[in-house]
Amino acid sequence: MVGYIIRRLLYMIPILLGVALLVFTLFTTVGEDPVRIALGNHASPEAITELRSKWGLNQPLHLQFLDFLKQIITFDYGRSFNTGEKLSALFAQGALVSLSLTLPPFLLAVMLNVSMALVVAYYRGSIFDRFATAFFIMAMSISYLVYIIAFQYILAFQFDLFPINGYEAGFRAIPYLVLPGIIIIFVSMGPDVRMYRTVFLDEIKSDYVRTARSKGAAEPRVLFKHILKNAMIPILTYTVVAIPFLVLGAFLMERFFSIPGIGDLMINAINTGDFPVLKGLTMYIAIGYSIFNLITDILYAYVDPRVKLD
Amino acid sequence: MSTQVANNSLGRRALQKLLRQKLTVICFVVIIIYLSIALLGALNLLPDFQARVGESYEPPSLSIAKIFGTDIFGRSVLFKLLAGTKTAISIGFLVTSIAVPIGITLGSLAGYYGGKIDGFVVWLFSVIVSVPYLLMVIAISYVLGKGMLSMCIAMGSIGWVGLCRLIRAEFLKHKEREYVLAARLLGANDYNLIFKQILPNVLHLAIITASLQVLGAIKSEVILTYLGVGVQDGSSWGSMISDATGELVNGHWWPLAGVVITMFFIIYALNVVGDALRDALDPKLVD
Amino acid sequence: MSALKKTLLLSSLTALIALGLSCKPTPKTEDSVTDSKGITSKKMVFNYLRGTAHKSLDPMKQFDSASADLVANIYDRLFEYHYLKRPYELSPVLLSEMPTLSEDGLTYNFTLKKGVRFIDDPCFKGGKGRELVTDDIIYSIKRFADSNVNMLSYMLVEGSIVGLDEFHAETKKLGKETNYAKLPVAGLKKIDDQKFSITLTRKNPLALLPFAATQISIVAKEAVDKYIEDFERHPVGTGPFYIKEYSRRGVMVLAKNPNYHGTYPAEGDSGDKESGLLADAGKKIPFIDEIHLPLIEEPQPAMLKFQKGQIDWIGLDKDNFNKMAYKDEQGFHLNETYSKKFDMYAEMGLVMEYLVFNMKDPLLGKNKALRQAIAYALDTKGYIEKMRNGRGEPLKSITPIPIAGSQAQTETDYYSYNKEMALKKLAEAGYPNGEGLPEIVIEYRSANSATRQDFEFLRNQLSTVGITLKPGFQTFSAFLTKIESGNFQMATAGWAADYPDAENFYQLLYGPNSSPGPNHSAWANAEYDKLYKDSKYLPNGPERYAIFAKMHKILQDEVPVIITWNPIYFGLFQKWVGNMKRNMMQDAPFKYLKIDTAGKKKGV
Repeated sequence: MVGYIIRRLLYMIPILLGVALLVFTLFTTVGEDPVRIALGNHASPEAITELRSKWGLNQPLHLQFLDFLKQIITFDYGRSFNTGEKLSALFAQGALVSLSLTLPPFLLAVMLNVSMALVVAYYRGSIFDRFATAFFIMAMSISYLVYIIAFQYILAFQFDLFPINGYEAGFRAIPYLVLPGIIIIFVSMGPDVRMYRTVFLDEIKSDYVRTARSKGAAEPRVLFKHILKNAMIPILTYTVVAIPFLVLGAFLMERFFSIPGIGDLMINAINTGDFPVLKGLTMYIAIGYSIFNLITDILYAYVDPRVKLD
Repeated sequence: MSTQVANNSLGRRALQKLLRQKLTVICFVVIIIYLSIALLGALNLLPDFQARVGESYEPPSLSIAKIFGTDIFGRSVLFKLLAGTKTAISIGFLVTSIAVPIGITLGSLAGYYGGKIDGFVVWLFSVIVSVPYLLMVIAISYVLGKGMLSMCIAMGSIGWVGLCRLIRAEFLKHKEREYVLAARLLGANDYNLIFKQILPNVLHLAIITASLQVLGAIKSEVILTYLGVGVQDGSSWGSMISDATGELVNGHWWPLAGVVITMFFIIYALNVVGDALRDALDPKLVD
Repeated sequence: MSALKKTLLLSSLTALIALGLSCKPTPKTEDSVTDSKGITSKKMVFNYLRGTAHKSLDPMKQFDSASADLVANIYDRLFEYHYLKRPYELSPVLLSEMPTLSEDGLTYNFTLKKGVRFIDDPCFKGGKGRELVTDDIIYSIKRFADSNVNMLSYMLVEGSIVGLDEFHAETKKLGKETNYAKLPVAGLKKIDDQKFSITLTRKNPLALLPFAATQISIVAKEAVDKYIEDFERHPVGTGPFYIKEYSRRGVMVLAKNPNYHGTYPAEGDSGDKESGLLADAGKKIPFIDEIHLPLIEEPQPAMLKFQKGQIDWIGLDKDNFNKMAYKDEQGFHLNETYSKKFDMYAEMGLVMEYLVFNMKDPLLGKNKALRQAIAYALDTKGYIEKMRNGRGEPLKSITPIPIAGSQAQTETDYYSYNKEMALKKLAEAGYPNGEGLPEIVIEYRSANSATRQDFEFLRNQLSTVGITLKPGFQTFSAFLTKIESGNFQMATAGWAADYPDAENFYQLLYGPNSSPGPNHSAWANAEYDKLYKDSKYLPNGPERYAIFAKMHKILQDEVPVIITWNPIYFGLFQKWVGNMKRNMMQDAPFKYLKIDTAGKKKGV
């Protein structure tokens, strides 16, 4: 087990190298030119050269890449081109905010959606199943953007149920996060319930369930004990790996509800070519993703004894 | 030879099963209608959405051009929707036709052969999925120059990962199954095992993924266009929704209603048909 | 089973909504505040918003409006544009009076106001803010001219002060070795702690205007030296407010500087007295205790908050204008439902919108008739009516209407939509009815729905005479690169006044100002250039306006750019906001505003 984990951690190195190379190539060769954006209209060529050298963008590419690798190892991505802020502080703050926006609704949604999928799967083929499926597909057929606009307008403005937007530090943030949270749950319902339902149906049709049933096991018991347990594997794959991306928040949500999270930071960084922010963010996400992948695999072994870690 | 026959009859039975369901048939028809609209668009046979048909912001009325009202320039919202349909369907199919073949090929090779090939494929998709989707799409769009085609290539070149993982996982499972072992004992070669034995058993995953991919692409277009990397000229549902965010507060609800309804039917139909195909094609379910 | 699950689902949803209801934050505007004498009173909080996040609060390092709005409230400049008087004129801020000009017209003598103090900060001895002295002014001007600090805005004073250009060049050479004490500037002379003089390179009626720009705000050396890289997040000024909570992407909170030296203007325009704008004449400012500035990037939530009374002032965009206001012969009005709740202002912007032709383009650059045809084919009036709800005026000269020397003084005329003439010119250009004319690409600097709709309008317009237009929606940096390298055919452009003088607009086509200067058309005309130089240092008056009219004639005939329109800016404010008069040279005049807290409570 320990050996396995060490091996997996070592395997992160080539992956992170790949990510670093990919991000570096994408954003140094293309995208917005941060120097032009910072200097705006009518910059003199000297000013451009000067700033380029200040930000180290005039060095040969391989040296820049080596610098980047050094940053990855030291976890120090320097300061934002845009504002001169220290990135470590910027990320720590933003990540916390984004997580407080996305994590609670995510956990709630997983529980809700798994339960609903179980119910729907149990009544497969019935009117209820068809009705539910129709409803979820309908919910999926409307754009995320439309939901945000409509929910904010109707629930927060017309009915005055929630604050329109805003954010405050600490627990005082909660009231501002409820409406975005409800939208996140609502939007996740369609695709997730359908996905889980498929997984459950696969399990229900499996041989071992038939065996259990023929042995006279009562349906709800079968549903819970056998199906849920076996269905955990695909569900885990589906959910655990999504966790690192929660840090990114939901950028549209952050914009519309004025929540100062990482998602909005990323969009602005893309639009202004703020390399340090983009490089740092991508690497953190990539590392988080690899670690959560590992956690998933360890959980596999825990849930399904047939899976061996070696 | 024997497997060939089995597959044919499987397909035929699946088709029969599909046709028994009324809703599925209706949804099939819906998809075919959208496809025909897209085809007409590709042949330049759709009415010109740039033409003025009335005054600015006329509410819906009972003439064909104004059934969904008019936009700020007095253009027919319906004609814009038709042009948008062509755009959306092209996006959906372009993305899917890039993503699905890559996903299937890499997934089955990796799952079947394992070893170095598997290592490389796993490394490749691990790298890609580790980078936030939006960042990748926008970045690749920048490389290729903004516009619809580069957006599609960007989405397609990332979109294969999900399917690839699924197929690879299934291949890992299936290659240990009895029927595969039996076929191998009977002397089937790799090609035969991959494409004739295992693939048909996992193909339903590709079909579900493809149907999700089409609608995922259609929905991503909305967000990307909102961010300014999407469709640049002509009409698209994404640009119509972005415009509608401002129009709605003025009581001009019809352009938004038009897009929501138009998007609704195709996404609904794709979902239903995807489900039905899944049920019909899953070998375990055919009995 | 299903019933159980459904109940679970329903109850958890209900719980969520209940949570939302119970935790609804109460507005914090009713807090009380205790002043230095121990008297408790209602705290006056002004709620506004920031549409984009600022880049830097270091006055010399910023050149974006989001930063300038904050800097203007934290720091002071030597001058500002008078809050109430129109046309815009300078009025002293840190000076006891307007400077006097020597007889040769080259040296200005300044006297600082007494008793101006920096806010308390640990960078000063004992943590107490010290008094402002002449050295601070000279230090700040030098820091502004230091090319290691300011890469953005030195051109505001370039060439106008004796010895400053040399200083600027020297700092470039010295880099980090720069030491201001060892680099005197001949034109900046300290007389005593209160008095100094600035010597100009030549007679120049525009020379004082840059000192009203936020980039030449007065900073303290101690603060710059202490905070170094963090100075741009830790401002120390003499301004009416200081930063109470710094949160670039959340809510910035500014609090009143209790020792602020300023007073409300004693005089204004005719009509200001009647409308109550002079009720506070001569009183100590600021009136507001705190300003709350959340970052709200999307227009929808901002407007919803304003309608709920959670924001006190908001710009009125096109879509909301449509819904809330209308235009008739008398001007612009709010609809009845809204006029009961809010007040509106409409103020002509100091902005000129235009289209640029690339004169190096083989097709457009050599074909004057073609450019004229396009100018005739544009329906600017229609564009303003249809696309901008009539919120602007077509321009008949390159200068925005509120600035002296604009069309009212030059009495010039310009192209208006004329299909016959367009077709005639097109035929003259060698493309009758547009036959044989290749597609023309017009570049935009973004790809949002507004620019897309603008393009659609233009495309429609030009297609009526057979000209085919294609869009190039660029990212901002790609746009700049394209335009400045001369790799384009047509481009959209706009110019907002750096200072309210016509020269700022005529320089846009001055030959030597071609890219990376602002003359992107790369048009050069010897006669125009000579006239420009003649007019540059003339005081406003008939002589100068006559030269403007001549320059306009050349622009009209040659069409290196098509001048289009002058936007009008609209805003709404709550009835409880007092002293509001939109000043286009002061976008965030919080120090003059006040809130009727009692009225606000009653919902007036």
